[in-house]
Amino acid sequence: MNPKARSQASKALRSFTARNSKLLIAFGLILFLFVLGEVIVSHFLSFGQVLLTTKLASFIALFGLCQMIVIAGGGDGLDLSVGYNATMTAVITASIMDGKNESIWIAIAVALAIGALIGLTNGLLTSYVKLPPLVVTLAMSQIIQGAINVYTAGRNITGRPSPILQTIAAKSVGGFPNILFILLVVAPAVMVILYRTKWGAILFGVGANETAAHLSGVNVKRVRCVSFVISGTLAGLIGLLLIGNMGIAFKDMGSNYVMPSIAAAVVGGVSLAGGDGNYVGVILGAIFLQTLTNLLVALGWGDAGKWTGFGIVLFILLIVYVSNRRKR
Amino acid sequence: MNSGRRDAGAPDLRRLFARPEFSSLLILVLMVALTAILQSNFFETKSINRNINAFAPLVLMTMGQAVVILAGGIDLSVGPALSLLTCVLTFVMKRSDPSSGMAALAIGLAVALLLGLINGIGIGYLRIPPVIATFATSFIWLGVALFLRPTPGGESVDWFSAFYNFGDVPGASPAVKAIGTVLPPALLLVLVGCAFWFAISKTRTGRHIYAVGGNSDSAYNSGIDTAKVQTLACMINSVFIFLAALFFVGQTGSGDARMGDPFTLRAIAAAVVGGIALSGGRGNVYFALIGALILSLVNKIIFFANIPYAYQTLVGGAIVIVAIASSRANTMYNKRIKTRESIPG
Amino acid sequence: MSILEVSRIAKNFGGVAALSDGNLVCREGRITGLLGANGSGKSTISKIIAGVYRADSGEIRYRNAIARYRNPNEAKKDGIAMVYQNLSLVADLKVWQNIVLGDEAKKGPILDNRSARRLAAGLVERLLPGLDVERMTYDLTPGEMQIVEIAKALAADPKLLILDEPTSALEKAEVLSLFAFMRSLTEKGVAIIFTSHRLWEVIEICDDLTIFRNGRNVGSMDFDHDEKDTEKIVGYITGEAQKGNYRKACAEICGETLLSVKGLDYAPFLRDISFDLRKGEILGIGGLAGQGQRELMLALAGNYPGVSCEAAIDGRKLELTKPAKLIRENILLVPGDRELEGLFVKHSVFDNLVFPRMGLRGQSLFTPLDRYAKECEQIIDVLAIKASGLDVPVRTLSGGNQQKVVVGKWFPYKINVLLLADPAKGVDIGAKRDLYEYIVGRVRGEGMSVVLYASDIEELVEYCDRILIMYEGRVVAALEGDDINEDKIITTSMRVGQPARERAI
Repeated sequence: MNPKARSQASKALRSFTARNSKLLIAFGLILFLFVLGEVIVSHFLSFGQVLLTTKLASFIALFGLCQMIVIAGGGDGLDLSVGYNATMTAVITASIMDGKNESIWIAIAVALAIGALIGLTNGLLTSYVKLPPLVVTLAMSQIIQGAINVYTAGRNITGRPSPILQTIAAKSVGGFPNILFILLVVAPAVMVILYRTKWGAILFGVGANETAAHLSGVNVKRVRCVSFVISGTLAGLIGLLLIGNMGIAFKDMGSNYVMPSIAAAVVGGVSLAGGDGNYVGVILGAIFLQTLTNLLVALGWGDAGKWTGFGIVLFILLIVYVSNRRKR
Repeated sequence: MNSGRRDAGAPDLRRLFARPEFSSLLILVLMVALTAILQSNFFETKSINRNINAFAPLVLMTMGQAVVILAGGIDLSVGPALSLLTCVLTFVMKRSDPSSGMAALAIGLAVALLLGLINGIGIGYLRIPPVIATFATSFIWLGVALFLRPTPGGESVDWFSAFYNFGDVPGASPAVKAIGTVLPPALLLVLVGCAFWFAISKTRTGRHIYAVGGNSDSAYNSGIDTAKVQTLACMINSVFIFLAALFFVGQTGSGDARMGDPFTLRAIAAAVVGGIALSGGRGNVYFALIGALILSLVNKIIFFANIPYAYQTLVGGAIVIVAIASSRANTMYNKRIKTRESIPG
Repeated sequence: MSILEVSRIAKNFGGVAALSDGNLVCREGRITGLLGANGSGKSTISKIIAGVYRADSGEIRYRNAIARYRNPNEAKKDGIAMVYQNLSLVADLKVWQNIVLGDEAKKGPILDNRSARRLAAGLVERLLPGLDVERMTYDLTPGEMQIVEIAKALAADPKLLILDEPTSALEKAEVLSLFAFMRSLTEKGVAIIFTSHRLWEVIEICDDLTIFRNGRNVGSMDFDHDEKDTEKIVGYITGEAQKGNYRKACAEICGETLLSVKGLDYAPFLRDISFDLRKGEILGIGGLAGQGQRELMLALAGNYPGVSCEAAIDGRKLELTKPAKLIRENILLVPGDRELEGLFVKHSVFDNLVFPRMGLRGQSLFTPLDRYAKECEQIIDVLAIKASGLDVPVRTLSGGNQQKVVVGKWFPYKINVLLLADPAKGVDIGAKRDLYEYIVGRVRGEGMSVVLYASDIEELVEYCDRILIMYEGRVVAALEGDDINEDKIITTSMRVGQPARERAI
């Protein structure tokens, strides 16, 4: 390569690195964990193990998409109701589908409707009644949990997912989990929408500077409300995947995904203040968290070690990524 | 514009009604009345004591959470912290050795303060947004708790049950037992908590907590060490959690790494219902206590109104939303003039 | 006798020199007044003395020792206290609590509220009798809040007190009260630096006077010896008047009335403002800083849903309740604070330039990058924006170039009325010239009308056909033709010859 091309290439590389620094760090961390795992526990880096990790991480990443949309819109946005939202759709559509393929479209429609309704309620309460999203979505998750209790009171949750769903969510093809393919389809679509359409531009603008967005004619309240509707609808759809994966629906199926989805977003470089975010980062964040969890489990430290290690690593990451140590 | 300088002294009834605290007091009275109607023996000593025992833990957790929120933060790790403290206490104590109870108290308090210190450093000095800082630490607390107590259990000394019921302490005199029926330990713990906060509110730190939560830039410009104040607020919270842990260990004699989980959300919600503004700097810890009572009574009412258990969760969540919405409506009634900087010349 | 000697202070902010050669001498027990137009450096030098900023070069001698403060608290400990506009009050505390905030008296560990209340009440009583220290700070008027800030600075018992435009929110009675108090302080040997935009105040209370212009002091007076000559003082402030090249005879290009505004009201910032704007006209909004000009621009841009006004564009009714409505009528705003209102600082130049398009109807779903990229390059070309590429984050650009991005985002639009809120603030001379060249070009080329608020009087003089002078939220004068010169603008803005209005209860 002649010198000019070489310097141009290195300049391009440097700017690529600068722009995507957080992504590269996340990717590097994942590699580091895998290597560490392989050193400590053999077969950690095996093909099967990696794929299993990515399968579990995919669910976190999907919930992480909900969070990213709500967080990116700014205004301290968070959606803590996604877990029970998904659980509710799983529980209700279970009996609709009843193990057959015929009613799957109805099930999808119901999931969309429930998810959208929950999202709309969240959006109206946060944008128009101006209640803090943290508390609203937390309370909403409890309301949904209560609704599930009511629905299932005195009866067992019956119903199994349609075989199609089971194929998508639970099964694999050639060793690759199908849900990974879903993610591989969803991710680029999301990136295109966020970075190449006006919707994404408006969402990030509102999150970055709501005054500037407002003065440019954007209806900030409506944008934020819509972001909650989208998050809720997505969570409803993920509920279908959850039941497809598990085979049955039970009351707590979604609640363990909420906090990891937020953590994945943060680790993936989404700023909690809003205005930026890269879905690839969220996916990497999810993989990182799941890998870390697996590593801690593989170390044989049991639950105690798993959670302690998880918390400490996350805390350290936060110090590096997120702490706001501006000089006064 | 004479801005009412002259009439500043006269009590303004309209202003009184508008304060969020007033509406929560009203709701409390309503709740008590409803409960009394539904539960025939509400005013009997035995059931009052039972209620106090049921409500006290949430009351303590809420007061602690209120302090953190007042200082401008929030703590999502309080539930796991509570669990951890019960595990620490039952880890240190040995049934055979009554003096291990004293050691447990000392070590437990020290651990509690350490938890608060770590959260405080994260929020105050490292400036990590409180939501995720405490989210991260909640896992650390859970992990350590599981390490100490993989399954619920542990040991406790006999006299520790004094934190729950004087009558359960072997060798307690009839006089002490009698006192215990009028002043149950749970109530004493709450009173200790109130006294603790009362003392703090009379110091500079107490005032500074409000200042830092109200406007941390102004506080900083006034020479206040905002990081230190926020750290202290977290440690004060820990003391309240410690008191709640004493109650639970006194009651069950065992530690459980997951028993505290439901308390996190409920403490935050109760604080908001009690008029604490999530943005910080506004509200009153004693009214947060009332918020906890309101939430607890709502659950009781649902129970006694024969609303099926299944509905309790749902209604509980709905009540939270209604309560914070009305609190917000009250806040908007108080028009705040936003101070504006003129263009520098 | 000199408690403070400041020599040859220079201070730069992002390439713009706020001070190039600041000098000041203050004596014990005397009140030194600082005068100067907006941007003259008088506020900057005060802040440097108080420890808010660090000087780039120069020397400060306080009580005969070199002073180099890293933050206001260090200065405070040395006895220098500055009162500025409401930067240290917590709205949710009571007045007395704010006054002692950070330095509360205590008996052992317990707060000594009684002596705190007494101290606060004592200070407030001498400044503003009747103000109840038990009131909540959020209930106070801006004027009362200012008094509380002053009381707070006094609570630290300073030897040098800097009052930066303390009277801007006060009524006349409150001002006189403050003056009496200042006198009593000087009798105790305290030195006071006092700045105000009201000439009569400065002449009334100050013993010495230093006048700043363009970052240096250009004159000083000692009222023990010198006469209080208003004309001379104004002469120092304005320097030489500049005749503009750009101003055109209004009759030539201006057309019919395009925008008419009647009774625009937005308490407490704007009161009963009415004016007409003709096609192709450049209407200036002048007056001292903080009289409501920024709010007027924001109101015209639709930022205040609660505003009440009867407005019409081209004869059609115009509602000022939402920015989208104004944008649809091609009334476009260049906001005053780029970072807070005009830019997405972390986003790229491209994202910023393209953003307004996103909210509009008719904008297709996908952003046609190619077409937009070409357009953006055109904008960069026309406005001479210096950026290493379309993808660089806007915060890496200099202030001037950032401002060009803010203006440039409206480039592809037809603009009926361009609202400019201090477009050249903090912008270097070259960029300023580019910006105005572009703006005037569009005025001449398409008959675009402009409402221009500029804190720099020279800009108003150079470009405007008419200037409305604002004072305390109202329009108090309209200057045209020969009246458009710095002298006239300043004297009208300062209400020379007219005392501060006494407001009826």
